Amino acid sequence: MKREEFLARVRGAAAAGRAYRVHVRDDIPARVGYVGAGPNPAERLAAEMNAVGGFAQLVDSEEAARAALAELLVRYSPKSALCWQHPLLERLGLAALLETHGVEHWSHDLLAPLDQPTARAKMFAAEIGITSATWAIAETGSLLMAATGGRERTASLLPPVHVAIVERAQIVPDLFDAYAQLEAAGVENLASNVTLITGPSKTGDLELKLTTGVHGPGKWHVIIVR
Amino acid sequence: MTDYAVHEHEEFLTAADEALADPSLQSALSMLADTLGQRNKDAFAELSDSGLLRDRARAIKDATLAELDRHLETLEASVNRRGGQVHYAADGADACQTIAGIIRAAGGRHVVKSKSMTTEEIHLNRALEAEGFHVVETDFGEYILQVAGQRPSHLVAPAVHLRIPQVAKILGDDAGEQLPEDAEKLAAYARRTLRKEFARADVGISGANFAVAETGTVVLVTNEGNGRLTTSMPRVHIALLGMEKVIPQLADLPVFLKVLARAATGQKLSIYTSMITGRRQPGELDGPDEFHLVVLDNGRSRILGGPLRESLFCIRCGACLNACPIYRNIGGHAYGGVYAGPIGAVLTPLYSGLTHHPHLPHASSLCGACQAACPVKIAIPEMLVQLREQLHREPSQANRVENAIYRLWAAMLRRPRLYRLATWLATRTIGRWPGGWIRHLPGLGGWTGARDFPAPAPESFRDWWHREGQA
Repeated sequence: MKREEFLARVRGAAAAGRAYRVHVRDDIPARVGYVGAGPNPAERLAAEMNAVGGFAQLVDSEEAARAALAELLVRYSPKSALCWQHPLLERLGLAALLETHGVEHWSHDLLAPLDQPTARAKMFAAEIGITSATWAIAETGSLLMAATGGRERTASLLPPVHVAIVERAQIVPDLFDAYAQLEAAGVENLASNVTLITGPSKTGDLELKLTTGVHGPGKWHVIIVR
Repeated sequence: MTDYAVHEHEEFLTAADEALADPSLQSALSMLADTLGQRNKDAFAELSDSGLLRDRARAIKDATLAELDRHLETLEASVNRRGGQVHYAADGADACQTIAGIIRAAGGRHVVKSKSMTTEEIHLNRALEAEGFHVVETDFGEYILQVAGQRPSHLVAPAVHLRIPQVAKILGDDAGEQLPEDAEKLAAYARRTLRKEFARADVGISGANFAVAETGTVVLVTNEGNGRLTTSMPRVHIALLGMEKVIPQLADLPVFLKVLARAATGQKLSIYTSMITGRRQPGELDGPDEFHLVVLDNGRSRILGGPLRESLFCIRCGACLNACPIYRNIGGHAYGGVYAGPIGAVLTPLYSGLTHHPHLPHASSLCGACQAACPVKIAIPEMLVQLREQLHREPSQANRVENAIYRLWAAMLRRPRLYRLATWLATRTIGRWPGGWIRHLPGLGGWTGARDFPAPAPESFRDWWHREGQA
């Protein structure tokens, strides 16, 4: 249908429909629905993540975070990892850690020179995804992942195990705060893909029983440096 | 694979009777209230002022629809700014043609789909298959239904009417091997099978839970991750948007996200909430090269300009289905349309014509549980009553017996003496009926066939008042 014709029809309908507007009270406080994180955002974040079937671990130093990550690499013994390029992961010495454990390391700078079919095959074959997050939301136990080159959306999606490492400065109390951060960065700069992740992949499609790992990672680990 | 017949189970009463007599369906449905229904209540209890938050969501919908044309224009400009294309489709056929055209122009052949009720509404799969495209549903429930050739029976749990052994049979027959009757193993089978489809697909088609006008963002709320794969792996992403799903700004989104997952499944947020803005940006290794947004009217503008406009507030959470005593007994297929339950009883007559679905507005006890469960407080019972009134004015629906009874009743109410005589007679005849309930009324079998008629009291209130009340 022609654009003008379509919009003209909507314009007429919207105008006619104003006769049937519903009455909604006009004294709704601006912050209605704000929950927040309470006094200990990192603890709240961990508790919420565990409640949705994730495995959250609170650690007190980057040293301890590296140890926790090393333990996961031993537990899952992946052959290859699909990783974000992120300052926190660099500080942890992720590349060296993967090498120590004999895990193939794939991230943006190593994948970009490959031809597309090869790069895709590497992404599909990865057995663990290692990322940080853009923000972590304590109220809901979510990671906010804004995609850019180097922070691929597939790292938290294709492998059966996803490990994310976040630090205290990345934690916001409430979902509303996360959106305020996106607004502050300028809505015109919104990443091509921003995904909130709140737990391991699940389905309730069979008799409403929760089954994990249908498409996304069935195992979801978050290491929180407080 | 075949699409389900569009008008299968059109006859509501027959379909409802069949559903009531189906023990497998009855046991599948019996889980709804205890799981989804209860989780919904618990999740809202955590929000101290959830009633006000729902009012805010409702107010945003109302204000947006009042100027929908303007918001659509803003949306289009935003999508264009980010390198995407917007297409407008007047109806289902128009949308199917548009989408097929995009796929052809992109040289696509293998299509993966994430769950979308709007694509079900326009019967997109059938249209694309007729064009020779290979189309695969990737939501686990939708995949099962596509293999079985069935229609979704619930907005968010499309295969809720099936038990695990039935699913094992459906998928096993398709795979040509025996599959275990085990939820985890069946899910693992689907993951393996569908990964191959994601690897080779060149086009991904999604719906849209919301579209943010100021940013050109399409929002997808899912639990499995298939929505993310559908919009990240293929080189073309096409999103089909029911035009009422537009919200003006990014700041409006958390208001809806806070109520949507709670109402749908009792989660604070669904596992994945994806905000997709245009195609991939330079330097990104994944994400589509092309982004197309197809904006669908298909009867929505007709509804927008009329008294049942509020039905366009619906965010498709399914809470009214879980809350409805009728839905929980007859399941989704009996409603005859793509949308089931209380909101389906409103939407289906609005979209496909009231006289084609004369029983749907009556498929409700008007108990109000749907409105109480609705995250945007849609006045569903009131709308059903309005539809009943419209039906009453339809000459094709005239019922001579019913009209005669109401005329008689009205005549009696206008003549006090006649009324008193009638009640006196009634209390002294059928008022003495043993048990107080009448199981069969001659000439009114349609009414007493499914429920008992309350016998009048043995004494009228007036008589009692004359005797006792004035003392």
